[in-house]
Amino acid sequence: MGVTVLQQFPMGENKTGPQTIEFLTKRVVALGAVQCGQFLVDCETYMSVPALGTPRTVHVLHNSEQPASVFSLLETGTKTIPLVADGLFDLLMLKMTPIYTSKKQTKVESKGPRFELTDFVIKLGSVTMSQNFKGILVEVEYRPCVVPANCWELLREFLQGFLGTCVQNIPPQYLQNRMNDIYQPMDTIHQYLDHFTMYRKASGMIQYQ
Amino acid sequence: MAYSVNISVEAPIENQIQEISYDGQEIYQSPLSMSENLAKLAQKIDFNKTVCDDKKEVETDKSDDEAASKDSSSFQSSLWPWDSVRNKLRNALTEVCVLADVLQIAKDKRYMVLDPVPQEAPETKPITQVYARKKALVGAAAVLLNGAERLRTCQNEAARNRSVPDFHIELLRLRKNWRLKKVSNTIIGDLSYRTAGSKYAQTGMFEVSKAEEEEPSSPPASPSPTSPPQPPPPPKPASALRVTVPSELQGVAYIQVICKKDEEDLCSAKVQLMGAGGAGAAAVAVGAGADVHWQQRLEAAQNVLFCKELFNQLAKEAVQLQAPVPHMVVGNQIMATVLPGIQLIIGLYHSTGTEKGARGAGGEGAGGAVGEGGGPAAKSEHDHVLEHSLHQLLREVHHRNTHHPFPHPSSAPLGPSKRRCLAGPTAADRHQLLEMTKSQTLLEQIIEQTQHFFMRLRAEYVLDTIAKEVKDPLIVSHWNALNSPTQSCVKINIITHGYDTLCRTSLVVHVGQKSLKCVCRDGRVMHMSYEPQELRDLIFCQIYQHQITAVQSLAKCMGWTYLANSSHLGIGAVEQLGNASSCILASPIGDRMIAVRCEPAGGVQVAIAQSPRKDFFSGQLVKERKWENLGGAFKEVRWDKMEGKNFLNKMELLMASLTSS
Repeated sequence: MGVTVLQQFPMGENKTGPQTIEFLTKRVVALGAVQCGQFLVDCETYMSVPALGTPRTVHVLHNSEQPASVFSLLETGTKTIPLVADGLFDLLMLKMTPIYTSKKQTKVESKGPRFELTDFVIKLGSVTMSQNFKGILVEVEYRPCVVPANCWELLREFLQGFLGTCVQNIPPQYLQNRMNDIYQPMDTIHQYLDHFTMYRKASGMIQYQ
Repeated sequence: MAYSVNISVEAPIENQIQEISYDGQEIYQSPLSMSENLAKLAQKIDFNKTVCDDKKEVETDKSDDEAASKDSSSFQSSLWPWDSVRNKLRNALTEVCVLADVLQIAKDKRYMVLDPVPQEAPETKPITQVYARKKALVGAAAVLLNGAERLRTCQNEAARNRSVPDFHIELLRLRKNWRLKKVSNTIIGDLSYRTAGSKYAQTGMFEVSKAEEEEPSSPPASPSPTSPPQPPPPPKPASALRVTVPSELQGVAYIQVICKKDEEDLCSAKVQLMGAGGAGAAAVAVGAGADVHWQQRLEAAQNVLFCKELFNQLAKEAVQLQAPVPHMVVGNQIMATVLPGIQLIIGLYHSTGTEKGARGAGGEGAGGAVGEGGGPAAKSEHDHVLEHSLHQLLREVHHRNTHHPFPHPSSAPLGPSKRRCLAGPTAADRHQLLEMTKSQTLLEQIIEQTQHFFMRLRAEYVLDTIAKEVKDPLIVSHWNALNSPTQSCVKINIITHGYDTLCRTSLVVHVGQKSLKCVCRDGRVMHMSYEPQELRDLIFCQIYQHQITAVQSLAKCMGWTYLANSSHLGIGAVEQLGNASSCILASPIGDRMIAVRCEPAGGVQVAIAQSPRKDFFSGQLVKERKWENLGGAFKEVRWDKMEGKNFLNKMELLMASLTSS
């Protein structure tokens, strides 16, 4: 488990999603990375029924890197409560349908090839929301280090190396507050959720609170 | 009618008593259902009489008006069959109303008074009463006598069979230790390890029956039973109970573990559950027949079942495992290579009870060579540790099958380990989860334990021989008492006798399965293979390093200064083992020098030099005396001629003699 940075890759003017992924794959392979299977991160959002009072939102996420775990984030309006549970949590959510209803059309997932390059793991994910292509998210993990502050410069350089100028010099918003903490799998999930939320807002079709 | 009285017709609440037995128990009749009740009530009605009355009436009516009334009455009766009942009820009601009226009038005591009618007392016949009582007493006496007779016969039976233990008592004892159940008319027991967590397919059913006592007891029974001096009963079967064990579980089985090195037995262990009884003795006892106590028979059968399960499991794993040197399963033997040149042979030996004694040990086993003769010899080198390990391994599997780590939620699947249960909430990644799926088979574990056993044996042997060979620094090894079946640890201290507070070299050797790990005092870690020579070389290197460091600390004590030291000297002849180490010491005022050179193979060389020399002769090259302070040539000390008990003692004496005041 190392430090992970999630980066949005802007789409070219006249390029489709698969073309962009292919383009990035060529770059990554040229660096010497080896493809090691696929990956998938998905997010489903449940809203509390109005009868429950203040509206609450539960995001349930799965990450293929932690296949035995289910991540959930409960937004109460004032704070966000993270929870890591095992696979039974999905079944529990099914039982909660009278209280929390899922919005199927807001299910977002990012999937694509997974590469390994010595200490780095690179994942090129194409984001889809209910089968509609939304964009490209590139995840890079540096495995030997667990403190973001110690390896951000390295990661930034690596990211800029194959993604170009779209990578900013400052760390992502989420990591900025936690630069000296020990990185947890939940932090990756937080970053994904932030990006997914932005994609949902950008669509304009679905209201997202 | 002055009052209208409501009449209700209903059945009594209580059930009727059908019979009262002698012990006072009441047997009730089952309550009547509605239809039965109705039928019963209808039965009570004398239809004949009413019909007759009706007929009479009809006849009287006939006289009045023949045609019409007959027609109507017949029509009426056919219309409503309960008409007569209704009439009777109405009559009864009328009478009861009249009675009520009469009673009402009589209560006023103005118009009517009720007077008791003088009645003569009922004639009591004393003789009849006596007769009735006598009859009742006779009945009671008959019941008591009957019971007494039955008790007496029962007691007689018990008295006659006192030497034969009661079947039911025996059965009770059997039930305390074994699982029994009744299937129709037979009692079936189960001696499998199912309830303990075994998943072995073979059932361990046995049947319990009452031992027949015909053959032994019929001869004394044939003479007239009236003859009072009964001869003492001949030796009867010790138990009233007979257990029938399936033929494949009869006899005695054990698992023999032999470690062979270059076609020669190194050690062998026999695993058996019999505990106290040796395999041979038990085989003889069980082979002798059915007159062994059922407890021993069942224990032996269970042992057979256990051994079979163990061997079955091992054989299955031996076939499946992909080993560099493939394991062989031939007949009832498994052969696995533990270390190069060392083989582990696990064999299942089963002697069926039909053959006499343990001669049939190889009856089923492929290695029949180990028969009666080989038994005691093999037993003498019985290895308790290996035996215990084999016991434990299968028991642990059983235990794991039944004991699941807590907590296990009712909705979660049973079976995964505790670590796997926690993997989800702790967000374990794929690599960690893959690691969790790896588990070791029984055979792998026993091979590892055997490997460790040999590694330990070799390490012990090396340390002991070095301690015997090398006398000068003493080598003391402490084996940790607490160790695991696949890992143990030895601490080695190298000290010099008499100087043990001065310098002590200690190192720890971890003995693993196929390798040794040595951790030195300075933190260096060395890994060695299973070859014992490597450990030997390491210890020798440590011995000579100890000598050099000890000399240096001794020099400090003596006030000498050490000028140089090198643990890996680059000069001199090439050593066959390690490098020579050396040090140079100077006396307190710096006029004498001692050089020590230690080589693991060659021993110790000591040389001394003096400066300045006592006598100075100016020559052409060295003109002034001051140059003599640079030190002169070293001269080797004939070390074997030195006084002193050991190297350090000699060094001390040498330093003392060279120290000039």
